[in-house]
Amino acid sequence: MRGLTERCYSVVRSLTRPLRRSGEGLTNQRKTVTFGDGSAVSSKVLISAASVLVLLAIWWAATYKWGLPSGFAEQAEQAERIENPQGRFSETKLVRACEADPQCSYSQLLNHRTLPSPLNVLKAVTELASDGWRQNTLQAHTWASLERVLIGLALGVLVGVPVGLAMGLSSFWKSLFDPIVEGFRPIPPLAFVPLLIIWFGIGETSKITLLFFAALWIMIIGARSGVLSVKLSKVHAAYSLGASKPQVLARVILPNALPEILTAVRVSLGVCWGTLVAAEIVAATEGLGFMIWDAQKKLRMDVVVVGIIVIGLMGVLLDLVMRKLESWLIPWRGKG
Amino acid sequence: MALPQSPPVTDDLCQCLNASVLRFDNREGASRVNNEAANLSLSGVGMVYDVPNGEPVAALEDISFSLNQGRLLTLLGPSGCGKTTLLNILAGFLAPTSGTVTLGGSQIQGPSQERGMVFQQGALFEWLKVSDNISFGPRMNGQKSAVTKRIVDELLGTVGLSGFGDKRVYELSGGMQQRVALARCLANDPKIILMDEPLGALDALTREKMQGLVLELWQNTGKTVVLVTHSVEEALYLGDQLFVMAPRPGRLERTYELPFAKVGLSVAPRELKASPEFIEKREEVLSLIWEMEEQIMGHEDGR
Repeated sequence: MRGLTERCYSVVRSLTRPLRRSGEGLTNQRKTVTFGDGSAVSSKVLISAASVLVLLAIWWAATYKWGLPSGFAEQAEQAERIENPQGRFSETKLVRACEADPQCSYSQLLNHRTLPSPLNVLKAVTELASDGWRQNTLQAHTWASLERVLIGLALGVLVGVPVGLAMGLSSFWKSLFDPIVEGFRPIPPLAFVPLLIIWFGIGETSKITLLFFAALWIMIIGARSGVLSVKLSKVHAAYSLGASKPQVLARVILPNALPEILTAVRVSLGVCWGTLVAAEIVAATEGLGFMIWDAQKKLRMDVVVVGIIVIGLMGVLLDLVMRKLESWLIPWRGKG
Repeated sequence: MALPQSPPVTDDLCQCLNASVLRFDNREGASRVNNEAANLSLSGVGMVYDVPNGEPVAALEDISFSLNQGRLLTLLGPSGCGKTTLLNILAGFLAPTSGTVTLGGSQIQGPSQERGMVFQQGALFEWLKVSDNISFGPRMNGQKSAVTKRIVDELLGTVGLSGFGDKRVYELSGGMQQRVALARCLANDPKIILMDEPLGALDALTREKMQGLVLELWQNTGKTVVLVTHSVEEALYLGDQLFVMAPRPGRLERTYELPFAKVGLSVAPRELKASPEFIEKREEVLSLIWEMEEQIMGHEDGR
């Protein structure tokens, strides 16, 4: 029983930690120079929460002022439901309802579609989660995008890390790959989309190939700079202790390069995510990028906004997972 | 391009055991020494670096000496005198442009576990626990885990870190990290231990303590040690033999046979360092190095 209480307490403490960081606040309190002292700049949770609320309030106020009168769409929908329980609520009915009401204008009707209110977006989330968009639920679209990114990234890591290590270890491989890497690296991966679609069609192959190339150059450069950052004295020490070349590679160079390799994975993940959404806009039949592009064509801006928010949240989530992975896999980072 | 080993010449290092100062005259090769019991032996070792758009720089020129088993040699000199280059040649990380280096009769070609190396701070493997750092050598050589465990336990005690085996390296202080480095080197039971300014990054108090540990390990294990340092006091205190090196080209300027290391553990180190004999030697070596520094400055000013 006591253990449970303690665990609850520690959970509460870990949740409120950002609110009162032990020690740091105290030393900052006594600092007389804070302007220009980076360590004295801390995050105030209340201010951050307020900024989010203000943003939401502006959004809501804009839809309130320029959109349909509050409850108008809902009332029209309800009236329609009573009249015709089986039928779907169509846009024409809403237009008719607006024409019948002297309080409603065409511009409000247009704004209702182009500028969805926070409430409409929330409704779209539940709609997308259950009914979905084009035969796929929101979850399925998200997973389709995520799967492509993970496969493309995995291939990029599998090829990029060995190539990067080889480039950091031998003049032959460095000279061989240098012009290829330096030549292709500055080209935004999206520039290859037209070619890839012609070669591989609009299916998975073209997208995964695109993501593979987006991750590849970053992984090669990360792995190479990881090798180059190994302190020579550590390599020397390993050889003096009787290690062979493969042992030096596996036991010294690889663990030493791991922090930079993981940073490269994190950067690749971000780049792949961004590239994928753009690629799905160009050509796809499922995925978040496809969903928002397709919804735009049908003037369903509430779906577009949901898609944008999910894309953003997934980006944050992926980065968080990578950070956790880093602190778990390489606790020694920066401590050599 | 290695020169053949020179034939035996007179053994004047041993004759000079009682004389405190011996002048080297490298050009005539008078100091070339060969001894049946010689452990480490260098003959005519030179190192020339090619500099782009400039004349080749002689980092080392005609270094010849031999070092008996169980001696502690300290190398001291102003920066640029090639003492670290020399140590890297002994370790096998660099191949000299001329001359030969042999250990126990066989020529040195590349790094080997018979020559252990202790570096300045930061050469430990921070991704491994203390015990895994120490057992690294034996593990690389395929020792069984029962054997490595025994070696680790014994060495942790030797360097005064019992109970720290499961700590991460970065959780230890600088002095403790260097204790781990010493233990890691000893785990392979090398014939000779090379130390490249091992205590250079430590604070003064820790440094004095660690000097005591180095002496203790040297006396207890009977290993041959070559230690590079830039501290005159450390070179005198730890060196059973001291070579003062001079720059441009890097060469052995003067050699000393010193009594301090032998009594270093029985006499309190502070007392020893405050003794008139120690102070006299210190002033002598300091003024020697001071002169060299003045000469370097003169060169650089173009005078």
